[in-house]
Amino acid sequence: MGAPPDGTRFVLPDAAARRVQVVTSLRDLFHGWGYDLVEVPSLERYDPSHPRAGQSFKLSDRDSGVLALRSDFTPALAQLVRLAHPAVAGGAARAIRYQYAGSVWHAIDPELARTREFTQVGIELVGVSSARADAELIHLARESVRTVGLVPRVEVGNPGFVRSAFASAGIPLPLHAACADAIDRKDRSDLADLLTPLQIEREAQRAVLAIPDLYGGIETLDLARRAVPWPAAHRELDRVAGVLREFEDDSDLMVDLSMARRLSYYTGITFRAYTLDFGQPLLGGGRYDGSLLPAAAGFSIGLERLMRALTRRSATVEPPPRVLSLDDPGARALRDAGVRVVRALSTELAAARLEASERGIPYLLVAGALEAVAERGDDLGALEAILEARGEGPRG
Amino acid sequence: MAEPKLVLALPKGRVMDDSLRAFGRAGLRLAPPESERAMRYDAGDAMVTLMRNADVPTYVELGVADAGVVGKDVLLETGARVYEPADLGFAACRLSLVRPRGATGTVERVATKYPRLATEYLRRIGSSAEVVKLTGNVELACLTGLADAVVDVVQTGETLRANGLEEVDVILRSSARFVVNRAALKLRGDVLRPLIAALRDLPGAR
Repeated sequence: MGAPPDGTRFVLPDAAARRVQVVTSLRDLFHGWGYDLVEVPSLERYDPSHPRAGQSFKLSDRDSGVLALRSDFTPALAQLVRLAHPAVAGGAARAIRYQYAGSVWHAIDPELARTREFTQVGIELVGVSSARADAELIHLARESVRTVGLVPRVEVGNPGFVRSAFASAGIPLPLHAACADAIDRKDRSDLADLLTPLQIEREAQRAVLAIPDLYGGIETLDLARRAVPWPAAHRELDRVAGVLREFEDDSDLMVDLSMARRLSYYTGITFRAYTLDFGQPLLGGGRYDGSLLPAAAGFSIGLERLMRALTRRSATVEPPPRVLSLDDPGARALRDAGVRVVRALSTELAAARLEASERGIPYLLVAGALEAVAERGDDLGALEAILEARGEGPRG
Repeated sequence: MAEPKLVLALPKGRVMDDSLRAFGRAGLRLAPPESERAMRYDAGDAMVTLMRNADVPTYVELGVADAGVVGKDVLLETGARVYEPADLGFAACRLSLVRPRGATGTVERVATKYPRLATEYLRRIGSSAEVVKLTGNVELACLTGLADAVVDVVQTGETLRANGLEEVDVILRSSARFVVNRAALKLRGDVLRPLIAALRDLPGAR
């Protein structure tokens, strides 16, 4: 006993309060855009074809069936849609907007800042497939970063571009994974070593070798059009261009056309969000039409990573409650007005004063009156006004 | 607001000297550390952090350093998710299976500083030998009988010959790579992209 299992942790009050605050502001943002909160079970039937089956914690059920702890919200929400909205799951065009927040578990080696239990907050937009829908998600990805007080940079990609270029260049299928991996690492030398022995035209080889460097501002799309000659690949570029055209202000948007190795279910555009001076992406998402559902896209935010990005900037500490109370009705009035009030452990005045000063609580509430325990704060008047407003202010 | 300086992670020793020279030719003026003990210093055009080579991928993956230099062998061993946009060409070596000269029996136990790559290699060739992780001078394991083979870096082969060992199989060829944090390449592209282009153009690099 003692420490919790590897890759899990306890969250103490200051951090827990900050986490709730961040989750609440994200929920409010999504709610304001019409995304309804849903919940899905933490336990799932183990399915070897699940995109993260290899990383799932498995449990045995009573009847010898195998269960898995939830490892990803997107497949779980797709299942919910199939049950609750069979018409949409069958291809009917009707927008469903869902948001979620909760834990997921990955049975991995808990190394390099990766925990095995972590929290995801995200949204899914199901039942529509259009550039306008993609843009809504990318806009909300950007707003998510902004709403917690960070400066966003959102990067859009389309793995279809790389796939299409491989097919047009005539790269044999067994080599696609290795080439995609080299492109994903932006390793042009490794890619050259893979391409050189192949019997493909120099022109095609040069085009594929340009892909690792096709990232940057939105002008990247024009560079890509010149670097890669194939019409099928150009159609994939058009998809990205169509999404970007939806934005009036595209100054904090970026493009990476060499995003090649992503989760298996993405079939359309993908995106990630970064913030300045933080070395890891804060969220990731994309369109997965035809894999889990006929038309759907979404993104999820890793809460732990977001909190790390936030605490690098300012380590705010949760302030102690304002009032320690020996007067239950008075305490209720203050709480109703949004003031944090703690009930004193003892009814003795001396003990309560000691308790307040030890916990750093500035005021003691006794028989309808506030007493400053340490230095008098500038909110005393406001607190007294709340007590007076209920018709039985301080007496004497 | 002035942009903060680029932070580079470099392995101590010869690779550091070669890296500083390469960066200099690529237009990034970096002073050498003032003392042997320096861990982190302002080198002029960038902040330099010095560490063991096996730690470079970690610093770069987590973004504590924006970029760094490390051998491909170490990079593959750690499996770090970083960008590898330039092969600098120096610190060239092979990762090889080494045995006492003339040994023919089956390999039962392999000593190595590269347990992940050694295990992958052994499984690939259908060997069920066990892998023992050591941290230094693995040839000694072969000479003392701790292991009947080692997987290690071979540069010229001099040390092997002097100790009656021979290179049996080349597992991979390695050289120093310029590695970049995935977010930094996007957020500091103004500094990093010209640097990458210049590094690729150096003699021996690509």
